[in-house]
Amino acid sequence: MTVEDHLVKHHVIENPAAQDQTVEDHIGLPWYVLEDYRCFGCSPHNPHGIQLRFTHHGDGLRTAFSLGRAHESYPGVVHGGLLGVIADEIMGNLVVLRTGLIPFTTGMRLRYVLPVIVGGGYDCVAKVRDGGGQLVHTEAEIREDGGALVATATASYQTVSLDAAHARMSLDTSEIDRLRRALAARTATTATSPGTLSEEPHVSVD
Amino acid sequence: MSVSTDELISEITGIVAEELGLSPDAVSPDADLRAVEGADSVKVLRVVARIERSHDVELEDEEVFGASTIREVAEVLKQALTETAAV
Repeated sequence: MTVEDHLVKHHVIENPAAQDQTVEDHIGLPWYVLEDYRCFGCSPHNPHGIQLRFTHHGDGLRTAFSLGRAHESYPGVVHGGLLGVIADEIMGNLVVLRTGLIPFTTGMRLRYVLPVIVGGGYDCVAKVRDGGGQLVHTEAEIREDGGALVATATASYQTVSLDAAHARMSLDTSEIDRLRRALAARTATTATSPGTLSEEPHVSVD
Repeated sequence: MSVSTDELISEITGIVAEELGLSPDAVSPDADLRAVEGADSVKVLRVVARIERSHDVELEDEEVFGASTIREVAEVLKQALTETAAV
């Protein structure tokens, strides 16, 4: 199977809002070339995860989500910490797609405005604020389907090359090779502002 | 370039009026924000979120929730902008 075959591979998902997005709509993340990756936020293979899918939204990304009682805090209310997961997930994947590098979150801040209701439909969009320096700065906002703002987030990411990052990941040589090609392929098809984000690693991870 | 407190008051008044569905003329910079007709804690939070996004600043919860009027919010924002510019 080629890298591109992997990228459009259909996945069974449990997030009902995500199921509204067709295979053609959602972005094939570089991680899809890893048959068994278990990212809590975006893996289609983790039954305990939230299985987010992303679409392009201008220069940024969008994801639709609806969470159930497994993600509850107060009765009928989604746990607020999960909004951080969703914001981090969409912003982190945006950095991956824009740079082809591996981002590590160095800081994130959330402003909570409204509670997220179990079973409710929500949208999260994210964009890069600036990425010319040591860190890539991003922002995201979560809204109800009706448009009401429920949370905003800002975050900073330190980006490293896959070569530098893989020592901290459980990947074999074959997986690293596939992931490297997928990162390059996704960056080639999604980078819209190459002048604003460096494609060179900013730091090394030892 | 520093922004004057009066300019910030004018901007925040516009945001508050929009969130509450009022004319800017109907919102006094010295009125108690939470006592303005139609105001509630969620709308105040929306105002705070919009201010943070438009100025790319993070306001301290203790300060912004301690502010009662638009003028006081403008002063909190001006201080945050000054600190950001000094970094």
